[in-house]
Amino acid sequence: MKLTGALLSSIVLTAALATPAFAALGEDGTTVQADVARMKGVLRITSSAAFTVHEITTESGVVVREYVSPDDKVFAVSWRGPLIPDLRQMLGGYYGQFQQAANAPHLGGHRHLTIREPGLVVQSSGRMRAFFGRAWAPDLVPQNFSVDDIK
Amino acid sequence: MRKFVALAFIQLGFLAACGGGGYRAATIIVPPPSQNIATPGPPNVETLAVDAGPAGAVNAAFVSVKVCVPGSTTSCKTIDHIEVDTGSVGLRILSSVLTTAPAITLPPHTDGTNPLAECLRFADGDAWGPLAVADIQLPVSGESATSVNVQVIGDPAYTALPTDCMTNPENTVAKFGANGILGVGPFAQDCGSACVGGIPSTGAVYYSCPSPSSCASAPLSTLLQQLQNPVSLFATDNNGVIVELPAVGGAGAATVTGVLVFGIGTQSNNALGSATVLQGNTFSGLITATYKGTAYSDGFIDSGSNGNFFTDSSLPTNCTAGTQWYCPTSTVNETVSLQGTNSTMLTANFSVASADALFANTTYTAFSNLGGTNPDAMGFDLGLPFYYGRNIYTAIENASVGGNTGPFFAY
Repeated sequence: MKLTGALLSSIVLTAALATPAFAALGEDGTTVQADVARMKGVLRITSSAAFTVHEITTESGVVVREYVSPDDKVFAVSWRGPLIPDLRQMLGGYYGQFQQAANAPHLGGHRHLTIREPGLVVQSSGRMRAFFGRAWAPDLVPQNFSVDDIK
Repeated sequence: MRKFVALAFIQLGFLAACGGGGYRAATIIVPPPSQNIATPGPPNVETLAVDAGPAGAVNAAFVSVKVCVPGSTTSCKTIDHIEVDTGSVGLRILSSVLTTAPAITLPPHTDGTNPLAECLRFADGDAWGPLAVADIQLPVSGESATSVNVQVIGDPAYTALPTDCMTNPENTVAKFGANGILGVGPFAQDCGSACVGGIPSTGAVYYSCPSPSSCASAPLSTLLQQLQNPVSLFATDNNGVIVELPAVGGAGAATVTGVLVFGIGTQSNNALGSATVLQGNTFSGLITATYKGTAYSDGFIDSGSNGNFFTDSSLPTNCTAGTQWYCPTSTVNETVSLQGTNSTMLTANFSVASADALFANTTYTAFSNLGGTNPDAMGFDLGLPFYYGRNIYTAIENASVGGNTGPFFAY
């Protein structure tokens, strides 16, 4: 799906909030500013009619993307960069479900992990200096959105 | 004649693939099939063994490492089944191995005030433990380094895991899959600049510990405080490694014995020779893999991956062993072309057999044709299966190898 929207804003915040709410998977998109503050990142927003992408680039060079639906729910997140971000922050209320599934025996070694659970898909790959991962909640994904577009 | 025509046709195919990927005209090299494996022993050749290890691994290559309390020649312990990993950096040892009699206790690595600890983040989980200092020696080659920062994973004094280091804790030998890991990847430190000068704002790696149960993510002021590539610390033969494992037949093998050679172009037994250099990205080490017309920008070669992991929707994944493996009804031969940030392209052939068929022989631990899916749509991971039958070089960032400078892979 093509992103037709323009760059809407570019904000740098350096102070962490005392009680940050995360724009994590399943949360409201309006909480994204707290996430920018928490990650001390630079925010870039691109919008189309179908969804909005909040892209946060941290000082460490990790690019976090939060995909927000027209009804303001974060339906997918992704990360790419030299470090794996705090997955509690990324997965929010889904972290417990993810953690339980990840703890179960799985094949594929240390470099790759795929979790397919009712209501949650998480894919994680890579090694120090070059990680990539993404997660989505199938129940929240807007119609006509291809998960292949979660980059 | 027919063979020659076929080869020319294949090469044309690669030219087209590389041109489509937007690269400059590339030199295409088909590596020779011959392989010479060095003889273990001083000054730079370590015995490398693929076997089940302490936790029932497949496609994991192990060395032994002797660790000593710094300055001591008696408070030492030789630890077997340390996995050789060209995809990570640093020596890490499971605590339970160090505390098994005769136990040795390594002094802590501190930030000047408090002991440091690390959350080693793998794609599939976190390994947690304090950092310590050790003198190390590779017992067959005799290569050694003093005052090396190492991670002690699963130290029972540090059982209070940080809340951001609790994804699939891999803090036991059974969960970790080895007694330790010898990270000899293409970087000089494990985290690098992302962990210097400030605390990573998300996904911390290093922690400062006023007490073992009160560790907090901490900034490091220098790269040297991090875990170092042990090879970089050797007096000589310190610019990289060569993994040399013999070919494995289509059905697999119970065990495989090869060598880990230290240094590239530093001795008569480790010349780069006709190997082709694939220059890695300065920051990520990544190379590009072009497979069936698609360029995958997250490419790497990695002895720490137990399969070749890539995307191919034509290969079935309905394996009993798990749906991330590939299970073709008969073995398929695949070709990928690899390209670093330099213009050279290198063809890489590999096979994929049914993981279920391979795993049916439960006494086998080495498979050259084990493949699986890659969760990263841009990923192409050539793991230990790709090493069998090839001598694969890993050169460390900023290290000189003839006229080349790391990070690079070569074979």
